[in-house]
Amino acid sequence: MNILEVKDVTFTYPGAGIPTLRHVELQIEKGDFIAIVGNNGCGKSTLCKVMNGLIPHFITGDFEGTVLADGIDTKTVEIGDLAKVVGYVYQDFENQIVRPTVLDDASYACMNYAMPDYLDRGRQALKDCGLEGRDDEYIWQLSGGQTHLLALAGAVSLEPEVLILDEPIAQLDPRHADLIYGILKDLNERLGKTIIVIEHHTEYIADYCKHVMLLKEGHVEWVLPTKEALDRVEDLQASNIFPPQVTLAAWRLQRQGRLPRERMLPSTISAGREAFRNLTFVKPETSENTQEKEPQDKAVSVSFQDVSVSYRSVKGEPKKIYQHLNLDLHKGEKIALIGSNGAGKSTMMKLMTGLIKPNEGRIFLKGAPVHETKPEQLSKYISLVYQNPEDMFIKDSIEADIAYAMQVREVEEWQEKTEALLERFRLTKLKDRDGRLLSGGQMRRASLAIGVALRPEILLLDEPTANLDIATRKEIMRTLKDMEDVTDTVMIATHDMQLVSEWAERIIVLYQGNVIADGSRNEIFGNKEVVEKVGIRPPEIFSMGKALHDDAFCYTVDEFLQCFV
Amino acid sequence: MTNMMKKLSENIFDKLSMDFLRNQVLKNAYGNDDTVIAKLDPRILLVWYLFFGLVPWFSNNIIFLGGCFLLVAVTTILAKVAGLVLFLFLVGVFSQTGYLFLVSLFFGGNAETIIPLLVLTLKVATVSLASITVFSGLDPDRLSNGLMWFGCPERLSFSISYAYRILPMLMEEFQNVLLSYRLRGKAPESNGFIGKIKYLVYQIQVIIHSFYPLMLNTAKRSRTTVEALEMRGYRYAATNKEVKKMKLSALKITYDDLLFLAVSFLWMAIVAVVMSYM
Repeated sequence: MNILEVKDVTFTYPGAGIPTLRHVELQIEKGDFIAIVGNNGCGKSTLCKVMNGLIPHFITGDFEGTVLADGIDTKTVEIGDLAKVVGYVYQDFENQIVRPTVLDDASYACMNYAMPDYLDRGRQALKDCGLEGRDDEYIWQLSGGQTHLLALAGAVSLEPEVLILDEPIAQLDPRHADLIYGILKDLNERLGKTIIVIEHHTEYIADYCKHVMLLKEGHVEWVLPTKEALDRVEDLQASNIFPPQVTLAAWRLQRQGRLPRERMLPSTISAGREAFRNLTFVKPETSENTQEKEPQDKAVSVSFQDVSVSYRSVKGEPKKIYQHLNLDLHKGEKIALIGSNGAGKSTMMKLMTGLIKPNEGRIFLKGAPVHETKPEQLSKYISLVYQNPEDMFIKDSIEADIAYAMQVREVEEWQEKTEALLERFRLTKLKDRDGRLLSGGQMRRASLAIGVALRPEILLLDEPTANLDIATRKEIMRTLKDMEDVTDTVMIATHDMQLVSEWAERIIVLYQGNVIADGSRNEIFGNKEVVEKVGIRPPEIFSMGKALHDDAFCYTVDEFLQCFV
Repeated sequence: MTNMMKKLSENIFDKLSMDFLRNQVLKNAYGNDDTVIAKLDPRILLVWYLFFGLVPWFSNNIIFLGGCFLLVAVTTILAKVAGLVLFLFLVGVFSQTGYLFLVSLFFGGNAETIIPLLVLTLKVATVSLASITVFSGLDPDRLSNGLMWFGCPERLSFSISYAYRILPMLMEEFQNVLLSYRLRGKAPESNGFIGKIKYLVYQIQVIIHSFYPLMLNTAKRSRTTVEALEMRGYRYAATNKEVKKMKLSALKITYDDLLFLAVSFLWMAIVAVVMSYM
């Protein structure tokens, strides 16, 4: 039985010249778990909003065709009635939560629709979404992952047959991402819900989804079972989707004739173990370890000395973030700061910029204590690019934003320097636009340009690749590599292990307010104890290599192909 | 003087940091939900407030006003109101009338000049403390339910609780925007008295400038919120009487509520008796 049928739907946003959706035909069976993939701006979110009736009821535009949700024509009923059939979780899910406490928010929709058992429904939804026992907690006490689960619970409480999630794990650490997908799987298998996700992470698609739909320029290119879909490497790459690294490696081996052509490409590590079993491991000649063990006699840039920090809490004892932290960062290092959500990554960066003051201990920036220096003076040495790039835009065009710091400091030739930065970050054409109105990748580039405008010696980046699709992430990674000559010391807080393993020279792992590991990528990813304790998910190709041979340390598909012949 | 100025200009960000403000707002709204006052029925408290928020304006009897003041002072203590709110209260009362009181004392004012001022100060203080008890002792949700019972439009009560939901997020964002200005801007040199003043003016300018990006960011966020509210039946509920009844069914008047009214009544009765003997 088809739970959702989209028949010949064409939709044009008001004022847009060309339609966002073009003659979309789609049937989704009850009980399916389907991923929608496609490059930025191909109409994925628009299609989802068509399915839950926001289009055409709430967002007006040129709408043609019919959408049947559980047999109901979406044009004939109100959005409220459709919400009981199709639940929707936004990408910016925190804006979807409107009530201050957990149970209140989970039962909010049921109460609005005058269901007398609204509290029970809310409780049941919380239970289904793994938030049992948190009924009376306040929203701001929840972690990012839990907030997402609450947004999901709010949708689940109405018991809809279909749940649509727009990029559910974009902002989450791997452990929370696994948690979310585990719960979606449970909702799908135990309660028979139909799940639709917009997803860039093909490893998660391989692990959890039953079907994949490729949307290209507003129309459905194909809908295929996951295995077959991930097999179409060319199609996916043409749409800027990156297949799982294991699949990619097998595909390249096939093209080199080192793997038989007729077989399906593996998409998971267990399938890869089978497919690659005939390859033999060759230890690469240039061993990394010899280079990395050089003595650390470089000058100390930032030094944390016995630092303890705690946050004021609304009730009860202050929450302790760091206790007696000691850490030195050296000039010229490329440091990745990793750890789960809430491990204190952002706090560490805020400490260095003097935004947060330690309760005990001192932080030195090039030998001078941070808390005795005004932020205006610190900015010569250190610059912080926030996780949320919108907070960097304080002027009404990105050109003015980039120029601002140089202009007020009367830096010589600031106009020329601004122009050069715009050119370098490929923003010249966009220079008059407000930063907030740019796309995700452009916004990141603009915030990086603002961050390096004063040529700081230390650059701090908080989650520079969060919320970006993989193509844009690669672009940001290229930009980071380009910037090497501009800044001396760079520190990135991130969950993106591909970024970590391809870029970082030193990895610092935070766990419950302590540095529990600090070293090169081989030392960190090779340390099983740390990887498990913190919930690090190394790049898939690394795990694949490890599964085949214990001494393999390959971080990219290229390295994998060199290691295994 | 210079020393004080220095402290003032350096501390305007530090002592009144956004983090501190945010914490105080949250504390004020939700941190005291286990106090005697917070557990009272909001309707009872609103009726109580009707008396202590209005009657003091119409009386000039210093004993009556003093009695009212003592009572609301006690309820304010019971409500465990956040420090910042009390501080603002003190500043407010002082700037309204308190300074006149001091000035008249300084210039050798006698009882005749002081008493009218004392009356006015007591009036303002009583009404303010009664408001603080009710509006900050209750958590916003209970308050809005109480208001709704008295027939205030659903929109008002939703706005109150939504404001408290969104405020911590806004303050965090404001903090970040402010920091953007501070890190990238250039503060004037803060040497000497004039320098301090300039620095203070600069800081205030930065705060004002920061509102513009904050508003734009908020506008961007609210798009999702508006769509989500639509899906979650907000509009439907606003027109449905059933929903209102369901929401309000949680309100119950208990023994404690009656006790609270009785104690307040008894105290005012004692005050009245004392008045008649004076």
